[in-house]
Amino acid sequence: MNVDRRRFIGSAAGMASTTGVATVWLRPKHSVSYRRPRSFVAILNAAEYSEKTEALLMEGLRLFHFNLPGKTVLLKPNLVEDLPGPVNTHANIIGAAARCFLRLGATRVVIGEGPGHQRDTELVVHAANLEPHLADRQIEFVDLNRDELVRVKLKANYSGLGELWLPRTVLDSDFVVSMPKVKTHHWAGVTLSMKNMFGVVPGMKYGWPKNLLHWHGIHESILDICATVPIHFVIADGITAMEGNGPLQGIARELGKIVLADDPAAADATCARLMGFDPHRVQHLSEGGRFLGNLRADRITMLAERIEGPIRPFAVLPEFHYLLARTVL
Amino acid sequence: MIVYGSIHHNRSMDYVGPLQELRRRESPGAGWSFFGSRQVSLEATCLANFSVLAERPSAAPQVVRPLLRAQLSDGSWPSFIGDDGSSWTTTLAICLLNSANDSSGARERGLSWLMKTNGREANWFWRWKFKLADRAVRFDPDRYGWPWLSGSASWVIPTAFSVIAIKQFTACSRSEISERRIRLGVDMLLDRVCLGGGWNSGNSVVYGVPLSAHVESTAIALLALQDEERTSVIRASLGWLKERSSTIESAESLAWCILSLFVYQEPVEHLKAKLAALVGDGHEIRNNATLATAILALKCGEMIHPFEVLR
Repeated sequence: MNVDRRRFIGSAAGMASTTGVATVWLRPKHSVSYRRPRSFVAILNAAEYSEKTEALLMEGLRLFHFNLPGKTVLLKPNLVEDLPGPVNTHANIIGAAARCFLRLGATRVVIGEGPGHQRDTELVVHAANLEPHLADRQIEFVDLNRDELVRVKLKANYSGLGELWLPRTVLDSDFVVSMPKVKTHHWAGVTLSMKNMFGVVPGMKYGWPKNLLHWHGIHESILDICATVPIHFVIADGITAMEGNGPLQGIARELGKIVLADDPAAADATCARLMGFDPHRVQHLSEGGRFLGNLRADRITMLAERIEGPIRPFAVLPEFHYLLARTVL
Repeated sequence: MIVYGSIHHNRSMDYVGPLQELRRRESPGAGWSFFGSRQVSLEATCLANFSVLAERPSAAPQVVRPLLRAQLSDGSWPSFIGDDGSSWTTTLAICLLNSANDSSGARERGLSWLMKTNGREANWFWRWKFKLADRAVRFDPDRYGWPWLSGSASWVIPTAFSVIAIKQFTACSRSEISERRIRLGVDMLLDRVCLGGGWNSGNSVVYGVPLSAHVESTAIALLALQDEERTSVIRASLGWLKERSSTIESAESLAWCILSLFVYQEPVEHLKAKLAALVGDGHEIRNNATLATAILALKCGEMIHPFEVLR
């Protein structure tokens, strides 16, 4: 076969560009993996928020094996707005969790949040009735929207952001607990432990809302943040959850569950299943299942209650009907 | 560290303790962080310096100098010292330099940056997308304002402060381009108003469902509209803020509410009394930006309002 110089150069250029595109496509978008062979989840039944919540939570937490002495625990609840309804993680659970972690040996518990829309964090904390739980001198609230910031290279590259300024309080914490309110979400489909981490992105740099993350893709940004700020534990408030047009304008749904997990992907997959959704259809969960934790039910050990059917799926906006699981179990 | 001398006045004493507390919290290298870290925030520093200037106008050179050092090469200011990205705090820096009567040219460079900065939806491609394909949020993308930082869309608070900064700086001599940006910003604010009056961060209706207004956004948007014709939108928003003012339990929102109602010549003395009780001697207000705003609100009527726009 005769190959002239022009044809050779053309073919070489074609091969080089094909290889380049393939390399970009095939290169993993994350430089870390937190997925373990098995994850552990405990679903606790709780019909209401009461003084019994703390004992129930302590019982649930004792199913896991923590090593907390000498450590600072960061509780990251979902405190969004001073609105009525199940918008925020209930203060009863946040306070109970803070006291439980102190009893489990933590040196210090920090409750940190950076509300995404409401600039007046004090107003949100007050409306959420969190103040009585901050009386213990070992429990402190930090406004993550206005904390000291550190420039951090992201450990995944789904969004193309490359780096973010993140709060020192978050980066200095030894044990990060995401405490989402179980809700539907009009942009992301669901807001659970992983979406909840949007709250660590500081408003003083990125604004209210943290709109730059939306422009770079909500699911993509969630993955990048969760890769960079690993979630060590999840306490999801699903006692009164939200369905429909969440996260602000939805309606209350009495789910009666608290979900504990040592893996955010497993926690969110379990919550999604309780909501009647297929976790594999939530983009950030599906992709997060590759490296942030386990989505598949056969890789999740249930330590307490099991997901029992039949499940009445959460109401969703028409745009999110695709989330509904064909079979709910 | 700037030494301002002792505080002398013979009217309301409500802000003396808070002002002393604020001055005590100034960083050694000049400026304020939000919560006492070493990272100086432009927002906290500008708000704190308004109260310093109101107390002692002769402190202007000391107030201005660190601000000039913090200005970025494109004329903007970052959200905090150490960051190299342009931010909405440029608007506060311009307002502060207006108050300090600075003549270094920094204001002109800041204004020039402001004139070139748009919300991302100003681009024809995104305008087209929001008009035809992405209709979940109700807004008119032709009416755009300013973002919190480059690369994001227009939002209410940065747009309102931008309008105030341009109106203040160009009060005596306004170019056509300045007037056009002011009108565009005002139109954007009027477009984003919530049902029943008031503003939130900038999404008034999502998937056909109206969202609630926020006190702080409403107060700041109304400051930007103080010299505009009292349309039904402005009247409704003012009414919403007045009604909401009686139930505000946080110092930050209450302070902005007072600063706004004052320029609309609404009675604020009862709100100032409530704010004074909330603030006390200032020790309990950990956020320096909140403490500074509260001092400005408590001094309303005894100083030149930092966000007043000449009619």
